[in-house]
Amino acid sequence: MKEFNIVLAGVGGQGILLAAEILGTAALKEGLNVRVSEIHGMAQRGGAVISNVRIGEKVLAPTVLEGTADMLLGFEPLETLRNLKFASEKTLILMNNEAIAPPELTTKMMNYPSLDEITEKINLFTKNVVVMEAAKLAEKAGSILTRNTVLIGGLAATGKMPVQTESLKEAMRELVPEKYTERNMKAFELGYKYVKKKAKLGNF
Amino acid sequence: MLLLGNEAIARGVLEAGIGVVTTYPGTPASEIGDSISAIAAEAGLYMEYSTNEIVAVEVAAGTANCGVRALTAMKHVGLNVAADAVMTLAYIGVKGGYVIVTADDPECYSSQNRQDSRFYALLSNLPCLEPSNPQEAKDMAISAIEISENLELPVLLRLTTRVSHTRGPVTYGKLTKPNLKGEFVRDVKRMVMVPAHARPMHVRLLEKVKKAKEISETSAYNRVVRKVNGELGIISASSAYNYAVEAAELLGLEASILKLGMTHPLPEKMISEFLKNHERIIVVEELEPYLEMQVKAIAKDYAQNVKIYGKMGRLYFPREFEFSTRKVMVGLAEITGKKLPVDLERIDEEYAKIVKDLPSRPPILCAGCSHRASFYVIKKVTGEKAIYPTDIGCYALGIAPPLKVGDILICMGASVSTAQGISKVTGNEVIAVIGDSTFFHAAIPGLINAVYNNHKVTLIVLDNLTTAMTGSQPHPGTGMTGMRSPSERILIEKVAEGCGVKYVKVIDPFKVKEATAILKEALQQPGPSVIVFRSPCALMVAREKRRKGVEIVPYKITDECTNCMACIKLLGCPALIIKDEKVTIDDTSCIGCGLCISVCPYDAIECSGNG
Repeated sequence: MKEFNIVLAGVGGQGILLAAEILGTAALKEGLNVRVSEIHGMAQRGGAVISNVRIGEKVLAPTVLEGTADMLLGFEPLETLRNLKFASEKTLILMNNEAIAPPELTTKMMNYPSLDEITEKINLFTKNVVVMEAAKLAEKAGSILTRNTVLIGGLAATGKMPVQTESLKEAMRELVPEKYTERNMKAFELGYKYVKKKAKLGNF
Repeated sequence: MLLLGNEAIARGVLEAGIGVVTTYPGTPASEIGDSISAIAAEAGLYMEYSTNEIVAVEVAAGTANCGVRALTAMKHVGLNVAADAVMTLAYIGVKGGYVIVTADDPECYSSQNRQDSRFYALLSNLPCLEPSNPQEAKDMAISAIEISENLELPVLLRLTTRVSHTRGPVTYGKLTKPNLKGEFVRDVKRMVMVPAHARPMHVRLLEKVKKAKEISETSAYNRVVRKVNGELGIISASSAYNYAVEAAELLGLEASILKLGMTHPLPEKMISEFLKNHERIIVVEELEPYLEMQVKAIAKDYAQNVKIYGKMGRLYFPREFEFSTRKVMVGLAEITGKKLPVDLERIDEEYAKIVKDLPSRPPILCAGCSHRASFYVIKKVTGEKAIYPTDIGCYALGIAPPLKVGDILICMGASVSTAQGISKVTGNEVIAVIGDSTFFHAAIPGLINAVYNNHKVTLIVLDNLTTAMTGSQPHPGTGMTGMRSPSERILIEKVAEGCGVKYVKVIDPFKVKEATAILKEALQQPGPSVIVFRSPCALMVAREKRRKGVEIVPYKITDECTNCMACIKLLGCPALIIKDEKVTIDDTSCIGCGLCISVCPYDAIECSGNG
């Protein structure tokens, strides 16, 4: 493996930084070199949040070069679009379909674009898109707050990650508060099964 | 371990046996202090969130001059606040090692300006180290202590957002038991900077800089990391170095790379050798051409024929915004004539089609934020006619529509003082807003000025009982210290009264009626008035409820709703959304603050639980 680049994008409060830390920790567990970039502070408050995870021996820069993401983990559809510049036709996109209306849309009384419109735009960059109902699955697991682990479960199921599923689970157990471990494990499994099923159907 | 750069510095504190850590929180430096605060009592060191950065430096200057190792952490603008102490502490020096950590924010992610703090090293004559990743951040924190003790001089450790907030692998070294026991040895000539003492101490400081230069020449942090036969050389430091290496690799550049980790004083001999060995030199650095200016000066003395490319004269790299592999790659390609390995033009073209109609998503006040209630009250009373100087904190987000409170913002504490100037010359109603932590940090001299010079301004302190923006650190009004032990709260209203303010009131801004009446009364006062709008931070409330297992009950819209949109138009709360062309409350983000009830003209909002 030369290097493996993951872009995580969504809205502040969706658990993006924790998800990135889990991915980075899992890589380190397997002795891989890794860089995880985060954004904190004012930029975070309900704003667009982006984090990058870069795995590989020669990796130094914490951020991904345009057009070189191997994976784009979209926590929110519009934020997935906003980060397409990191994608190419080789990128696999895993996108949560949970729409969070930006205030600009609300104040202008505009509707959130349809999933079809969004997918159409994504297809300009790549045809490899898996849409996940992460929020629904998270609630099934016990809390909407586990949507990040649903997505990580989905990521594991794609079979593209350079780290073992076990390492991802172990990293999650370490980083999630103990009283929430169970629901997060459940969320992981739900996400995993969801994407496995889609893979079998030949969706990507 | 996978650590943030900031966490790695906290680890460095433990390995270096630092006894005292002082800080004032500020993005991107906050996690240094926070990580120490979490373990200080257990680790046996002393930690405090000082009221501001100059106090933090002065406390640490006291301990370091008693031989106890110390570290102070702050964001770049914090160093401006601390500068008065830093400039003269450089003359006095230290006995125990002392590191001043400052973190620059080149992209302005969470700051009021972008500045290159390395110029403080030139200005103060203090040595400066610049890590490029978390491992180096830890190692350099320890080295900085050693250099500091060797020279008896504080050392600057300069970070940037992408060092502070990047996670990377960090190998741990041995812990050193912190020493907290110091001794003050009287030495008036060294430590009392009256003019007669300052003059010789300045000479001594310059001698120390010479010695520091020798350290820089032999420092393992300054070295040629890649050596190839060829005429092209790259000089880089800090986060820019990471992009430079990857970009050079992507372009297949045959270039030697000199990495600088100790960037003040620069290793003149080492750099001159590097210049002599190459025909063309590219300096890759974020923000200002700090290295480039000095490299060019060195070239004038040692290598007049070498061509130097960077960001002076013709700009190959931007001085604004943070760097990326892309920006560095484009600059390197332009200088060397290499072809880009990624078709950026095509990506930009396709991407432009996508972002054309993409609504922006700027940061906003959280659902349930008490500042929203405060701003609603303020706008209700004074609308567009008053002028609103604002300050540094979450409440700066109040400038966004529909609230639009915030007309001038400079730096910590400036709201209350700029208000006085505006009031003096316009005769307008002027309402300054400031946060609780910011009040303690920098508002008190301004408030005393308002009282003594009788400026007619109203200061509203938005007291949400925490330092919210930077991650809920305690401050003197919270009753908690950095050691996580209780302390007697200092009440803002008492401080205001003590400063001589005649009209001081405290009210919960969610009590809209009472708060409105108080603000109206305050504006009638002949002199300065202070209102403390006190209500805890919504994030803190939600966290506390979750911790205690108390259910968060969202509000809901009833059938009475006429879709008049008053709630959306007046409050701009992110929990109020449009779904199928109807106003709806998003129950995953609503925390049940109830503010929307008080603005609904049709009583069409109610609590969905029993309450």
